[in-house]
Amino acid sequence: MGNSIATAGYTFVVEESKEISGEDLGLLQEKLLQLNWGVQHPASGPMRLKVWVDGDEVVKVDPDIGYVLRLLEKLVEYRTWINAIVNVERACFIDNFGTMTGYSIAAEKIAGVEVPKKADYVRTILCEGGRIVSHLIGLGSFVGVMGVHTPMQWALIAREKFLDAFEVYSGQRIATASIIPGGVRYEPTGKFIEKMITAVDFLEKEFIPRYGEVFIDNPTLKVRSEGIGVVPKEKAVELGLAGPALRASGIPSDIRKDYPYAAYGELDFKVVTKEEGDCYARYLVIWEELIESAKIIRQAIEGLPEGEWRTKFPIKVPPGEAYVNVEWARGCFGFHLISDGGTGPYRLKMRAPSFANLWAMPEIMKNVKLADVPVIFASLYMCHGDIDR
Amino acid sequence: MLEEIREKLKSQFGLESESYDTNMLLVKCDRNQLRDLMKFLKENGFNYPHTVSVVDYTPKGEGFQANYVLENLNSKKFVMVRVSIPEEDLTVPTVSDIFPPLQPHEREAWEMFGVEFIGNPRLEVMLLPDWAEGWFPLRKSYDFKKHRKPSKEKK
Repeated sequence: MGNSIATAGYTFVVEESKEISGEDLGLLQEKLLQLNWGVQHPASGPMRLKVWVDGDEVVKVDPDIGYVLRLLEKLVEYRTWINAIVNVERACFIDNFGTMTGYSIAAEKIAGVEVPKKADYVRTILCEGGRIVSHLIGLGSFVGVMGVHTPMQWALIAREKFLDAFEVYSGQRIATASIIPGGVRYEPTGKFIEKMITAVDFLEKEFIPRYGEVFIDNPTLKVRSEGIGVVPKEKAVELGLAGPALRASGIPSDIRKDYPYAAYGELDFKVVTKEEGDCYARYLVIWEELIESAKIIRQAIEGLPEGEWRTKFPIKVPPGEAYVNVEWARGCFGFHLISDGGTGPYRLKMRAPSFANLWAMPEIMKNVKLADVPVIFASLYMCHGDIDR
Repeated sequence: MLEEIREKLKSQFGLESESYDTNMLLVKCDRNQLRDLMKFLKENGFNYPHTVSVVDYTPKGEGFQANYVLENLNSKKFVMVRVSIPEEDLTVPTVSDIFPPLQPHEREAWEMFGVEFIGNPRLEVMLLPDWAEGWFPLRKSYDFKKHRKPSKEKK
């Protein structure tokens, strides 16, 4: 039969300009080969990585993005101040509370509206709920790219309890549209608090011990992820990494601690950092943040004050602008919001942490083995809706 | 921390700065000064760039505006550098060699607004499809309805 690839008539693109097929395939080992990682790879999501390999070693990586572009920044300009949350939350559906909170704080800063304390606490509970939901998927998919799909199913079971709580609160499980400029949209009922406590109980008593026993400190997982994609401290700043990836390199950058918003200033939690900066460290940062978030929710529920949960937000907001950062599940999310005195935003720029991580990735992936590409990709913990916006 | 930077900016560049937020300083500068200013800020600890945010003020007759947001990760303070760009000459010198993470942000600003960052090694279409190059959809003059897909005719 000879070389089956050659007889099947495949054509490979080499160095983009030359094409090789048929008998010349024997020379292929000595030349660079361009592979497409994605769009249909199970781990890639809606994006493509052009990977140039020399044998088994990655020479160059170039991401091809834009498959889920919705141009949210433009759509927001056609909405009123409150309606705009439906576009803002769709930056990423997994943790939608963080983005809505950031946008609302920016709008409140321009309008000079002060939010009731109860709204701040409910925002904190919801934001941490969103963070847990997002981190669960992050953990599951990290082990998933190595071919073990059980943890993803376990994570989804734990996630389901939180979605139930969101459903009781807002009527929706994913796109909740529940945080608006001026407070939160619905009253936090006893049923919601009860569901939230059930979810946190399940997470702390069932999920964390069981998952921690099997998939943390797991020798097989460590072989695949320890010492892979190492980013030292200085390099992390130079590359502009964001969120858990930055903290895994030993930089304690957490907006919740640095510039407390919502009720974070009154709650007690620690910023998780690791020194190693490899894929396993990034995985552990997500894991430990999950445990911290559960504690924050418990504290916020205990300290939930009485009173109003929203105030009136003006229809027309005076001209002005604000730049607000929030610690979203995947990193620091920045909102540059501008008002020209109209009934809706004049311009909204969203600074996405996944976008920063994505463009740091080609540098991290230099000279790694091809099999490490999915591991590094999943450890950087990116969301495609967030990259393209 | 921000007061120190404010005084240094005044003595070295002659630039007035104002406080934008409790933790953020706003510096307005000229296009020619931008690169020197960015180098100066990087040496003074503002080494973590966040983004480039371009704003289209053409309906108000003020051209475009580019805002560079930098953070100091040690003292946790921000600086926003603001450059005005006249509508007739949409060019800014690139800072992607000083702050490599800003390269894709400049690229995005170019494809969405048409502001040319001179010296940026890679001004190619990134998020938009290839055939939409040069549409500049985030400009205020871009007509959303004109590019809407025609709805199916009613039978």
